[in-house]
Amino acid sequence: MRPPVAERDRIVRLLVRFGSELRAAGLAVGSGDIMSYCAAMTELDPADLADLYWAGRTVLVCRRDDIAGYDRVFRRFFLGDDDQVAELLGLNAAAASQVSQSTLVIPAADPGADERGEEAVLGLMASGAETLRQKSFAACTPDELAAVRRIMARIRLTPPQRRTRRTRPARRGSVPDLRRIVRRSMRMHGEPAELCWRARKVRPRPLILILDVSGSMADYSRNLLQFAYSARRAAARVEVFCFGTRLTRITRELDHRRPDDALARAARTVFDWEGGTRIGASLESFVREWGRRGLCRGGIVVICSDGLDRGDPATLAAAMERLARLSYRIIWLNPHKGTDPAFRPSTLGMIVAAPHVHLLLSGHDLASLEELAALLPSLN
Amino acid sequence: MDRPESVSELADALRRGGYLADRGLATALFVALRMHRPVLLEGEVGVGKTEVAKVLAAIFGRRLIRLQCYEGIEVNQALYEWDYARQMLHIRALSQQQIADPDAVDKLFGPKFLVERPLLEAVRAGDGAVLLIDEVDRADDEFEAFLLEVLSDFQISIPEIGTIKADSPPLVILTSNRTRELHDALKRRCLYHWIGYPAPDRETEIVLLKEPGVGEALTRKVVAAVNRLRELDLAKPPGVAETIDWARTLHFLGETDLGQAAASDTLGAVVKERDDLELVRDNLADITSGE
Repeated sequence: MRPPVAERDRIVRLLVRFGSELRAAGLAVGSGDIMSYCAAMTELDPADLADLYWAGRTVLVCRRDDIAGYDRVFRRFFLGDDDQVAELLGLNAAAASQVSQSTLVIPAADPGADERGEEAVLGLMASGAETLRQKSFAACTPDELAAVRRIMARIRLTPPQRRTRRTRPARRGSVPDLRRIVRRSMRMHGEPAELCWRARKVRPRPLILILDVSGSMADYSRNLLQFAYSARRAAARVEVFCFGTRLTRITRELDHRRPDDALARAARTVFDWEGGTRIGASLESFVREWGRRGLCRGGIVVICSDGLDRGDPATLAAAMERLARLSYRIIWLNPHKGTDPAFRPSTLGMIVAAPHVHLLLSGHDLASLEELAALLPSLN
Repeated sequence: MDRPESVSELADALRRGGYLADRGLATALFVALRMHRPVLLEGEVGVGKTEVAKVLAAIFGRRLIRLQCYEGIEVNQALYEWDYARQMLHIRALSQQQIADPDAVDKLFGPKFLVERPLLEAVRAGDGAVLLIDEVDRADDEFEAFLLEVLSDFQISIPEIGTIKADSPPLVILTSNRTRELHDALKRRCLYHWIGYPAPDRETEIVLLKEPGVGEALTRKVVAAVNRLRELDLAKPPGVAETIDWARTLHFLGETDLGQAAASDTLGAVVKERDDLELVRDNLADITSGE
């Protein structure tokens, strides 16, 4: 049952407006997506809110994290008290709200959003010192920006390699390359005159940076973030996380061409700048949400922290043990180590974590970060 | 039936095939069927991502073609490969018999020596097939880029044979466990649906549909217990598949109630990590207590 042309035009216009609202809310919705949405709605019933909701969600949303944002905009746009919208759909406002209550249950308790909310509450209760404030990197001094560029120019991060399951043609290898053997033998009237081989390819291991941005690390965390940015630019498979009282993934935020933009965006995402530290809980949530899914399998995990943990040491010990099993190597950068070769960790957190740490470096200045960069390729 | 007229008709068909889909999943699949777009299903382990492809194939009487992705999967394991060993033997035979057949070379690169892999098979089968690309997150990103090409126009070029194109493309279902983020370009080509854990009532329904022999009272208890397990801080929370397994195991052992002892004996069906086992055993009384 297709609606008449004029009505279809109105529906399309409405859907386009909905699309731009989504765009305004930060979802990446392209014109092609909106076209697909309109096409989908011609197959479905535009007057049915459930169809409108689910078709939009399946076409316009392509990331789980975006579902909550979509729900918000949808609720505001189609279920708000905008009479015009209801009218356009051939429903009066009363019917619309009725429909929404009976058939369309927007899953308000999206598991992801819920988790985050809960965590936020827990975080607030657990650490009295957490100060929820944002620290702007937009106000980077010219000196600091120059420093970023200097690091970027100087540090070449080459994570160690590992052999993959893929093969490529090679002079000598373990697997005969039948394709090439046959092709070559064609020239010799089918006489396989020479043997060709394939060898396993090598690939850089993933590098995961987990940075402490809590109060006790305040003097270093800005540098570390700059380092993370340069690392992200220098090697392809780099993931960056920050934590104070809770863990935030900032990999996407750092994917910005201009360093000031990237750092500003990352700083906006991280909520617990210079607050308390809960290393154990943060690492545990890393293991549970990311590590378990394979993000750090076979990878090098670099943790930058002073080990001043306000949480339960048992949590940290358990998290470190799991992390050690999930990843290839763990490197711990402790700025308090400085240049002292006889440094022994004194904080409880460090002592608990030490058995699982492969390498302890300092990372308090540029030179020590370069030391890290130089050590990386040799970790194989 | 090959062309459901409405979302509810598709949902009913799935139910008859033994799969309970919620409105969101049914809508996504309906739109995919109508618009010939691939569907990307993400969700926790064991919520029925792969199952839905199997059921779709069954209810539409289509062939299920499965491409299981793994690290290092290459184009010639997904698309096609020449049977080199046979080609070589054939060449040898020809040259030994001194047969001067002008078509010999053409035959050498003809269908007889072509080994079809799932993607080529699916393109050939067209809408007579459901193509399941399972655990696409396990393949590496080079492979993803290649998939993108195939999924956008369902056309495969083999230099020696020519271009093979699907008149009407197969229904494609991709699944991912989110071990890594997929590229946006691939996601853009697909409809997206996140499958979460079902609500307790629906989960009970699912278990009863799958294991009709298990009593409803026991099923409700098992579902309640599993939901409590999911609230615990487990490294690997149980999926729907585990719920079904647990109910089946208890039923097989002749249990009619989920007591502490029975639960403790059969815990291996739901909890599959050592650390988790310890945590669960400590809270067993709580987990098995009533509805």
